[in-house]
Formats: sequence, structure tokens, C-alpha cells
Amino acid sequence: MGSYILKRLGQSLVTVVIVVVSVFMLLRLMPNSGYFTREDYVNMDQAARTAYLRNLGVLDNPFVQLAHFAGGLMKGDLGRSISLYPRSPVSSIIAEKAPYSLCFGLASIIISMSLGLGLGVLMARHKDGFADWMGTLYVTVVRAIPSLIWLFFIQLWISGLMGWPMIFYLDRPVSWILPTISFSLAGLGWYAIWLRRFMVDEENRDYVKFATSKGLPRTRVMRGHILRNAMVVLVQYFPQQILLTIAGSLLIESLYNIPGMGGLLVSAVRQQDNPIVQTIVLLYAVLGVLGVFLGDLLMAFVDPRIKLADCSGKGA
Amino acid sequence: MTAITRGAPEGPAILEARELSIGFTLRGRRLAAVRRADLSLRQGETLAIVGESGSGKSVLAKSFLGMLDKNGRVESGSIMFQGQDLARYTSEKEWLAIRGKRIAMIFQDPMTALNPLKTVGEQIREAAALHRGLDRAASRHAVLETLARVGIGESELRYRQYPHEFSGGMRQRAVIAAAVACKPEVLICDEPTTALDVTVQAQILDLIKSLQADLGMSVLFITHDLGVVASVADRVAVMYSGQVIEEGRVDEVFYDPRCPYTWALLASLPQLGVRGEDLYSIKGTPPSAFKTIVGDAFAPRNPGALKVDFEYEPPVFQVSPSHWARTWLLDPRAPAIEAPETVRRLRERMKRRESGASAASGGGGLA
Repeated sequence: MGSYILKRLGQSLVTVVIVVVSVFMLLRLMPNSGYFTREDYVNMDQAARTAYLRNLGVLDNPFVQLAHFAGGLMKGDLGRSISLYPRSPVSSIIAEKAPYSLCFGLASIIISMSLGLGLGVLMARHKDGFADWMGTLYVTVVRAIPSLIWLFFIQLWISGLMGWPMIFYLDRPVSWILPTISFSLAGLGWYAIWLRRFMVDEENRDYVKFATSKGLPRTRVMRGHILRNAMVVLVQYFPQQILLTIAGSLLIESLYNIPGMGGLLVSAVRQQDNPIVQTIVLLYAVLGVLGVFLGDLLMAFVDPRIKLADCSGKGA
Repeated sequence: MTAITRGAPEGPAILEARELSIGFTLRGRRLAAVRRADLSLRQGETLAIVGESGSGKSVLAKSFLGMLDKNGRVESGSIMFQGQDLARYTSEKEWLAIRGKRIAMIFQDPMTALNPLKTVGEQIREAAALHRGLDRAASRHAVLETLARVGIGESELRYRQYPHEFSGGMRQRAVIAAAVACKPEVLICDEPTTALDVTVQAQILDLIKSLQADLGMSVLFITHDLGVVASVADRVAVMYSGQVIEEGRVDEVFYDPRCPYTWALLASLPQLGVRGEDLYSIKGTPPSAFKTIVGDAFAPRNPGALKVDFEYEPPVFQVSPSHWARTWLLDPRAPAIEAPETVRRLRERMKRRESGASAASGGGGLA
């Protein structure tokens, strides 16, 4: 088990390095004019431009730049923003934004998980019944209608209806409600539909028939056998979902004017702010890989058939 | 008519289906899975139900536990169990007093009958605790005893293991342990050895037999393996397209079968074939359960069918006090039609055995 974990961590590290290096190198293929704002570019002469670029370090050999980035990374220095927040350290930009996305994300995970899983159980229990029908309708609506439409609807109508502010204020908790709800809706449907699906799968299995023939009441078969086994399939996705909440949501955060991580990557790419792009890619890659890894560990923990072993172990 | 009279008086029926009809609704059409079937399981005996796939034997057995699929229901008839008519049960609450507690069932495939994510011990314990009202420690103790009883050694260790750590035979033992943990009065075995190695089959059959003797259970054994019938059953019921067409003691049905379908079934046994001759097989296919069957359901496949077989359903004819059959051949007006050669050979074989036995014991025998 210990050696398995080490091996997986090693593989994860390789994955992260490949992702980060590829993105890093791709960024160096961008035209140098992208590092200037329009007016700076017009106002500077060729010499000034070159001096500026040299100062940024983007004229060096890309491998030298990479070594520079790696060296800084070792010391905990992620570089400074070029154009988005000129001269600010990237780490402090992220440290300032991430908590917003993380808080909204975690709150919405708690809501969507508890309500979604509850709805899923209800749908599976009353399959083809009213609850199932309503649940399916909900999921279909949430998935089929572009989120922008219902997110707008929630922001405009519900805020008007309840008299809540239309944008986010840090010091007014009532303004936190609508974004949290908006964050939760899609996830809620996701949990419900997948749990329902896995429960329906489990329900048709022989062991459920046998458990019923032993005389267990349906509620106990549902809880102790069907739900339990269905959750095992679902549980491996939880860690990555929790970890990746840090990415926030471009749409919701810009609708409510939340200073989170949502739009950061897109604007950094657009403005060719290499240090920010590199850092975010690194961050998401690490969290993504870590999420999958934790998911596998969790899976092995809840499913006795899975043994964490190297390939030398018996194939089951 | 050669009636065989032999043996002890038959015990009272513990579970009896009368004129039981079970139908399913499938995409708006009605499918008759069981048609006015009669079956009686007597106290302490083993009754085997034989029949080809789709003859309704599993559906019949499941109805005794109230475990028909959602689209199926008992349409008419009764299932008498210890003075109660199970066919009238509608709520889960009523069934919970019977299911697993007084009538237990084991299934065909032990590889899938246990929940892969729960320990074997826990899966047996949950039933024992529920029905016998035992607390955790007491029920655990009872499970350990049951495990040892069904031949699972190192029961402490096995209790904590998961199904994937058990072999097929061991899993079937565990399934049996779960089924008998509450000392049911009736045990229904739905092809319990079909999915097992031949070497393990005999062990499982022996186990069921010895548990039956210990606990005084009555066993209903569903199978299509006539060899298994011969080795475990006291009596046998033959099913064809949803109906029990012949029921009697194993020796009666095997050696003096009366229905053309039973003849055909026995004649197609590979063990009875003659070297060099083609093995007999029943031509055609069973009638569709969606169609209304007129007359004898087997008539279209029976080369020697009478005209009446296509028009009227045969009633029950009593061959002996313990043997009955549904065929017009038993009607006094029917022409004398002989069973096929293979089946007659079986009969000869039995006669020889009977005369040997009566010479030895000085009594009984053939009337």
C-alpha cells in the first residue's frame, strides 16, 4: 500500500510537470506584441520595446525561462503579474481571490450534495413515480437550458422578489444567498441523476433479490444495500469536485461581481500574463491530479474488492 | 392401469397452491406465466419442480414469497400456508412475517446473490437479528454456529470476509446459511447447483438434505436437471407452459409417467439414450405465454396427440393416491397409447428392481 501510494504520487508529479511544461512552452510561442497594451506599443519605439521585453525576461531562450520559473517555484516565488495586475506577486493575487471561490464552492457542494443525493434516493425509490418525474424534469431543464438564462433569471427575478441585492457585498450576508444557490443548482442535478442511475442499477442485482428474500424491509434493503453500493461508485468523484471548487465560475462570479478565481485564467490568457497563466495551470493540474488520486484511495477504502497494490499483485 | 401402492402415508401439505394463476403485464399485453397450477408441498418432504425454461417454475416459487416483479400479480387461486392464504397478501408488512422467516429461498447464482460490499457474516446476521430478535452479540454468535453447521470452517475469519474471498461452493454455503439462519419451515431452492462445479454440486445437495433432516424443513426444489431430482427429491411435479401437468412420487413419475410431455422429457435424457441411436429431442417450441391456450398445451408438439387434446383442457386424473396427471390419455374413453420405447425401458428397469426388493423384504411391490 505504501509503495503504491509513492508510485502514484510519482506518476502524478510526472503528469503535472508535463502539463505545466507544455503550457509554459506554448505561451512562449505567442507574439511578443501581446505583452504590450495597445497604447504602450504605439508610444514606445523599437529600442524601448526591446528593453521592456528584455526586462520581462521573455526574450531569453524558453528553456532558460523555464529553469528560471522552476527555480523561483522552489523558493516559493511564482513571479509577478505582467499586465493584469502589473508588478503584483502572483501568489498574493491568488491568495486574495481563491478564498471567495473556495467558500462559495464549498457551501454549494454541501448544499448540492445533500439535496442532490436526497433527491436521487427519492427518485430511485419512487422510480417512474411523481418524484422521479419531477426530478428528471428538473435535471433536464437545468442541463438543457443554457445556464446563462436561468442564472440571469435567478439574479433578476429572485433578487427582486425577495428584495435581496443583485450583486455580492462582502459585508452583507444576504447578498451571498443567490450566488450560493446559483452555484448549487447544476451540481444538485448532477448528484441526483447519477445517484438515481446507480441505485436503479443496483436495484436489479441478484443480491438485492436475495436480501429481500431474507425478509429485510424495503427501506432497509434500500439503505443498507442499494444506497450503500450506489454511493461507492459515486464517491470516487467527490475529492476532485471539492478540490476544483477553487476554480470558481466565470459566469456566476462575473454576474454577481464576486472577486473570485472565475475569470482570472481567461483574462490572463487574453492579456498574455504568463506568470498568472502558469501558476493557475500548475494549481489546477496539481488539484486535478490530486483529486483523482484521493478518489482512488477513497474508492479502495470503501470497496473491499479493490486492493491498492502494484502490478505484481494478483489480478482480481 | 397399473397403480403403484407403496410406502408410508403422506404427511399433510404445508404449502399448497390451488388453481393458481399468475400474469404479467408487458407493454400493455398480458402474459400468463402460471395457469391454474396445483402444487402441494408436504411436511418434511422434498418436492422437485421440473420443467423447461419459461415453464413458470421460478415464477411459481417467487409467488410463495411475494417476490413477483412489479408488473406481475396473482390473478386467481390460492396459496395455502399453515392455514393462511398467501395469495391474498398485499402489503409488505404481511409478507415480512413470512419472507425469510418461515419461507426462505436460495437462488441460482451464488456469485451474485451476496452483496459484494458487505461482509458475509454481516449479511447472514442481518436476517438472523431481524427475525429472531437477537442483539448484535447474540446474533453474531448464532451466525458463527450456522456457518460451522453449513461446513464453512474457520467461521470467525470467514465471518469477517467479503464474498469475493469465497469460492463459488463456499458462497452457496453462505447463501444457504443466510437462508436457514432463521430456521424456516419451507426452503425454496431455485436451481441451487446449476451455476456450480459438478464436484461441488453433490456437496451442496448433501448439505441441503442434511439441513432438512436437522431442521425438519420442507424443501421445494426447482431444477431442470432430472439427475438432481432423482438424488434429492421425494416427489416431483412436472410443469409445462405454466401448468403442473403431473405430480407424484419420484419413482411413480420417473418409472410410470402418464403425460406425453413427461414421456418426452424423460426420453430426451442423455443417460437413457441408446448408443448408436440419435438422442430424442422434443420438436417445436412451447406455446407463447401471450396467447390463450386451448386444450392441452403440449398437443401441438405431441405427435400422438388426440383430437380432444386440441379442444379441451385435460382435467386431473388420479393415477394413484399419490400420483396424478393432466392428460386425456387417462380418460377411460381414450385409446390405449403406449409410452415411447425409452420410457418403457425405464419401467422395465423399475419392475426388475421392485421384484428384487419385494423378494428381499417379502412385501409391498407392484399391485
